[in-house]
Amino acid sequence: MKRITVTAENCAGCRQCEMVCSFQHTGKFSSSLARVTVHKDDRNGLDYPLMCRQCTDCPPLDSCPVQAISRNSDGAIWVDWQTCTGCGLCENVCKYDAVKLNESKAYICDLCGGDPHCVQRCPTEALQYIETPEFTETPETAFSRMKEEWCFNE
Amino acid sequence: MSRFYGYTGKILRISLSDESLNVENLTVEDARNYLGGRGFNAHRLYKEVKAGIDPLEQENKLMFATGPLVGTMFPTASRFNVSAKSPHTGIFGDSNAGGHFAPEMKFAGYDQIIIEGKSENPIYISVKDDEIEFRDAEQITGSTVFDADAYIKKDLADARTQTVICGPAAENGVKYGALFANQVRAASRTGMGTVMASKNVKALALRGTGAVEVAEPDRFRDLVLQLEQEIREHEQYQGRRLMGTTRILMMANAAGFLPTRNYLSGVYEHAAEVSGEKLAEKYNVKSRGCFACTIPCSRVYSVKNGPFKGLHGEGPEYESLGSFSSRIGNPDIELALKGNDLCNQLGLDILTVAGCIGWAMELYEAGELTKEETGGLELNWGNKEAFLTLIQQISDREGFGDILADGSVEAARKLGKGMDRTVQVKGMDLIMADPRGLKGFGLGYAVSSRGGDHLRSEPFIELSDDPELGRQMFGVPEATLRREEKGKGKLINYFEDWCAVIDALEPCKNIMQNMMLLPFEKAATVMEITTGLKLTPKEVREAGSRIINIERMFGIREGITRQDDDLPKRFKETPLTEGDSSDVVVNIEFMLDEYYTERGWDIATGHPTPETLRRLDLGFAVADLP
Repeated sequence: MKRITVTAENCAGCRQCEMVCSFQHTGKFSSSLARVTVHKDDRNGLDYPLMCRQCTDCPPLDSCPVQAISRNSDGAIWVDWQTCTGCGLCENVCKYDAVKLNESKAYICDLCGGDPHCVQRCPTEALQYIETPEFTETPETAFSRMKEEWCFNE
Repeated sequence: MSRFYGYTGKILRISLSDESLNVENLTVEDARNYLGGRGFNAHRLYKEVKAGIDPLEQENKLMFATGPLVGTMFPTASRFNVSAKSPHTGIFGDSNAGGHFAPEMKFAGYDQIIIEGKSENPIYISVKDDEIEFRDAEQITGSTVFDADAYIKKDLADARTQTVICGPAAENGVKYGALFANQVRAASRTGMGTVMASKNVKALALRGTGAVEVAEPDRFRDLVLQLEQEIREHEQYQGRRLMGTTRILMMANAAGFLPTRNYLSGVYEHAAEVSGEKLAEKYNVKSRGCFACTIPCSRVYSVKNGPFKGLHGEGPEYESLGSFSSRIGNPDIELALKGNDLCNQLGLDILTVAGCIGWAMELYEAGELTKEETGGLELNWGNKEAFLTLIQQISDREGFGDILADGSVEAARKLGKGMDRTVQVKGMDLIMADPRGLKGFGLGYAVSSRGGDHLRSEPFIELSDDPELGRQMFGVPEATLRREEKGKGKLINYFEDWCAVIDALEPCKNIMQNMMLLPFEKAATVMEITTGLKLTPKEVREAGSRIINIERMFGIREGITRQDDDLPKRFKETPLTEGDSSDVVVNIEFMLDEYYTERGWDIATGHPTPETLRRLDLGFAVADLP
């Protein structure tokens, strides 16, 4: 299926993805209302936008005690906020820390119905929406790779 | 108006002496009159900080403010102003920085944060939405900016905390200690870090979970998309993406106004070796940007070999790169990077460091300063060891560094020599553009409310050398010819108002002003769509003019007059001898006459007239006129 992938070398850390995500879903601007979070390492000038990877094996979906999490017709993870109790179990079991809890609701990327706005708006082509089996990179592994590659550990 | 859009509508006042807090409401009148950011600070500082106080005593107040566009997806809206009476100059102190601090202020719910009084113990202030804590800073007293930032994020157990931090230089009482957001985004001018340190505060840490709403979301989205397209299609886009402001260095050299060896020359024979092009080609590994930036222009560099192997970080910008290369006669770009990194960690204003070291090197080379007086440092142009040692000495206020730690004017006073060789206005060491080749910039330096600096006006348009622009905009063709003096009063009057508006709304001046994307007409539209406040383009410009005048009155109250609106002697008397800006000097008096006339200020004294103040709703300041 199509997934959002990250090219961390390109990410400038501007957080336009957070802003457009929040705006698109709520009409307001707030990092807390965004389903994507840019992880930052200011000392090394590194940034990484993290959102749901749409894993084939999705622990939050499997473990939601009230079955509020499902896949929609595009295959994207979908949270039914009518049902969601905000217990936070999904936040704990997600392998990528890609679930955010805000005002007692789970916030998870829904791929904007197949046309993710964060990808459209990214000014440096750090985000792509492409067909790929899985996407398993974490901010930590990306940061280590870049630090190694650019001799930041010398 | 029942509620604010764009603005949060709240001002947080933190009184350190009794650890009390107060949340005040923003008024519609203040929003209309001062717009935000620099305007909010200028207004409140004038009203709340009395003339004649010691900037390092508790009567001084440190104010942070941001603008209505920040905390949204408006391209480049990421900036804040920090203001106080300056310990470096004794007049209006104010500096501006980007990064991610300003949007966090909005998400936490504040347009402005005012810090007053003085803490008994070393603390840092944590603001998390409406929870404010005074936290022990014993552990980070004397820490570098980088270490303090890491400590605070750990101490608060929140990596998304945004900080502004002062370094050890400010804590040691260096008069030009800066404040740093995101470790390297410096609000560096006028000693705002020193003011914070004087209050026993190491850092202000913010975390906000709230939201910013705009008045007309659909029109706002369209406006943002249109602006982004204009940015991407702009002729400066590629150059800025690749080099940021460092792209200027080679241009400045070609035009003969690249300050070289403390402004003794405007051409540096090693310019190509220390250029933005060289940095991009050999050292840059990735780009970085401030919050909501469509044209991220910052760069991360890495030094992979040689004596500084392993050195890496963000930046530098043109002013820092030039400061530590041509200005001090240093052809080694890696040494410039090292100096830049050291100043960021110690929390120093690089322009002033370079002003002081460049001045001392000139004296030393001229035989007017001896090795005995410098404590053994051989201050020849570009001396690597002496350069790095001196930066550390300045920060520690030790040895010869102690002499330089109050700025070049104070250094000349202490040594009893070299005043004519200082390159400063109103005590603030000048930036990196020689006014002999840029007459409008020269006038801008002379009248700037914070002393020798271009960011109050930045009339980049005179670089076009296109008389047609001057004719269209000001009815004076010479206004946009860089070596001419006629029309520069009109030019600076216009550009000062414009810069004040940008600094109040708080997007990036490099993009919205230099790339001409947010003129007064557009700013009025943006204000309406974002905040719901309807202002005409004329009213927007008047707000800019109001900010200029209230800052001027802050200076007037401290004794500033026409005599202080001056340039260093060498620019008025000694022409450059090589390059494209040679054989001319600056006639500052001629330009001042025109500027005061345009401003509605008294030509003899440089004071705003009572009529001018009343016209701008600044009648309350009339009583403060001498």
